Amino acid sequence: MMKSYFDDLVSGIEARLAEDPENRSPRKVYALEVARLGQRLYGETESVAWCGVTAPFDLLAAMGVTSCFVEFVGAMLAATGMEGAFLEEAEHAGYGGDTCGYHRAVLGAARKDLMPVPDFLIATSSPCTGGLAVMENLARHFEKDLFVLNVPQEASDAGVRYLADQIRDMAAFVADHTGQRLDPARLRQAIDNTNRARTLLEEAYQLAQHVPSPVTGRMMGNFGVVMALLLGTEAAVTVARTYRDAFARRVEKGEGGLARENLRLLWIQNRIQFKNPLIEMLEKDFGAVVVADELNAITWEAIDPDDPYEGLARRAISIPFNGQGRRRVDHLQKMAASFKVNGAINPCNWGCRQGTGARGLIGEGLKAVGVPVLNLEVDCIDSRNFAEGQLRTRLEAFAEMIAGRPSPWH
Amino acid sequence: MEVFLGIDIGSLSCDGVLIDSHGKILAATVVPTGARNLEAIERVRREILQTAGLSEAAVQATVSTGYGRDRVENRLAAVTEITCHARGIQALYPDTDILVDIGGQDSKAIRLDRQGGVQDFAMNDKCAAGTGRFLEAMARALQVDITELGGLDRGARDNLTLSSMCTVFAESEVVSLIASGTETREIVAGLNRAIASRTASLVKRVGGDVNALNVAMSGGVARNGGVVRAITAVLGRPLAVPDNPDTVGAFGAALIARQRFKGTAGHQT
Repeated sequence: MMKSYFDDLVSGIEARLAEDPENRSPRKVYALEVARLGQRLYGETESVAWCGVTAPFDLLAAMGVTSCFVEFVGAMLAATGMEGAFLEEAEHAGYGGDTCGYHRAVLGAARKDLMPVPDFLIATSSPCTGGLAVMENLARHFEKDLFVLNVPQEASDAGVRYLADQIRDMAAFVADHTGQRLDPARLRQAIDNTNRARTLLEEAYQLAQHVPSPVTGRMMGNFGVVMALLLGTEAAVTVARTYRDAFARRVEKGEGGLARENLRLLWIQNRIQFKNPLIEMLEKDFGAVVVADELNAITWEAIDPDDPYEGLARRAISIPFNGQGRRRVDHLQKMAASFKVNGAINPCNWGCRQGTGARGLIGEGLKAVGVPVLNLEVDCIDSRNFAEGQLRTRLEAFAEMIAGRPSPWH
Repeated sequence: MEVFLGIDIGSLSCDGVLIDSHGKILAATVVPTGARNLEAIERVRREILQTAGLSEAAVQATVSTGYGRDRVENRLAAVTEITCHARGIQALYPDTDILVDIGGQDSKAIRLDRQGGVQDFAMNDKCAAGTGRFLEAMARALQVDITELGGLDRGARDNLTLSSMCTVFAESEVVSLIASGTETREIVAGLNRAIASRTASLVKRVGGDVNALNVAMSGGVARNGGVVRAITAVLGRPLAVPDNPDTVGAFGAALIARQRFKGTAGHQT
């Protein structure tokens, strides 16, 4: 079922892109590569690894492994409106309805045989221990070996070496399971692709900071976190370049993504994954556009192609969700300033300690730089819990509130 | 004569306020929303104009608010109840720093600036515990009329704590307490304190230390004297409660209609 779904999706997007090859929508180019990843995951022809969010996907690509973090499955199910049955399956098995929807959906999908059987699993202790527990659970379910990367909280020299050594061990673990040794030339090429994509992404994010911003609210949703899956491949470079070029064209012409950009918003953590009208409502009724997402940022330096392990380790440690909440607040304050946002929206994903645990710190931290935060209470995966009217009222009231005050950046 | 209409269509009641060009209230009405909110809206329009002795043509602009705000036809704008309540209370009590508004299914705390603008706000989570619907259910369990509930806590020793604020569980708990012979006044006082505790949490989220702040209350639940007393006790601050707390949102909407009409060509959508 899923293979044919992704096949249809790929052919459909390819056909749309072929209609106007000179003006390829960056979002469609990105969606195409994500759909191709789905094709490979469900194609039953390649080695597959289910992973944690901060796994080194470029290293895995260099080793011929198609890999994906498990939360992707939850988001995909929600985006296609299919999540309900899988959430129920997990709940029937005893997982609490107030635990993370991403993880409940994944567990339900595994139990209903919707997930391709992996060859092995690679868990990461960051960004959440809930995800780590899910990986342990999946390893038992699929009866496959699990490798755990224990990501330190600080990028000290010792911490970086500690994780770099684990990544070397992980490469040996992967080689043992695929029967293929790591080819240094392929690794160098993968790291080169990662570095090229990194430069282009950094340029795209800088262009997105322009006033008016070339982005629309949907263009960059979930972008940064999912782009990690493409790192190491030529596809990452293609997607990043398409975004960079599209933004550069708009900025050069002085065009915004929205014809009337009145308010600029920062979205904290991940988007609401199921179809909903809230982003469009903000744009249409208030000229309020989400110009920045917390995870759409480059927080790491280019990686040395000749000795990539420490660079890969530093990258994993650098994500804002790793370490103390203070780091996350610093990151958000910098984003708020560079994107000149009027306000921030925190969905506070139910059952997620990253989503709800730091909301007070984040609210205070952004308030300190003049940026008000709207805390919602949303299960970003489970549309059965979606209270549209209540959320509309909160978002509209927030937009009314910030529309009446000067930008903190003037 | 130029008049401006505010309509607040909530889950329990549909409220209307008609003001003149100076902001003076000419007429106000409150009708039950019922299952058909369009009928309630029309009834408010009809009754309020009848009371004021005016025709529809005199209404220069209408602003709607409340959960059914998008259902109101011939409006200049739809504005959220947060903005409207803030505006309404500022006109009634200009020194208000924080407004507590508890309506049919929402409770909120709003931090105001001196112009009636919203500085910050916090609302109840998805659950309607502590709102008008909650009190309706509790009145039903106690087998009393909702309008009597406000005075039934008098003389309570205030030593009963309810273990749940979930409407369903609280209703069961109230039934159990009645069955065990607990006095009604103790149960009602316990309910009021539970509501006050939740409300204080919202207030502190937007106001921090409220010791030096002026707090007002609006919404239909402000008619319940027991809840007002309990919130006053928990906050340690007196609450300013207008004579007609349930029409503050509609009043604010009418004021916004007047302001926006003067700032636009008056085109109604």
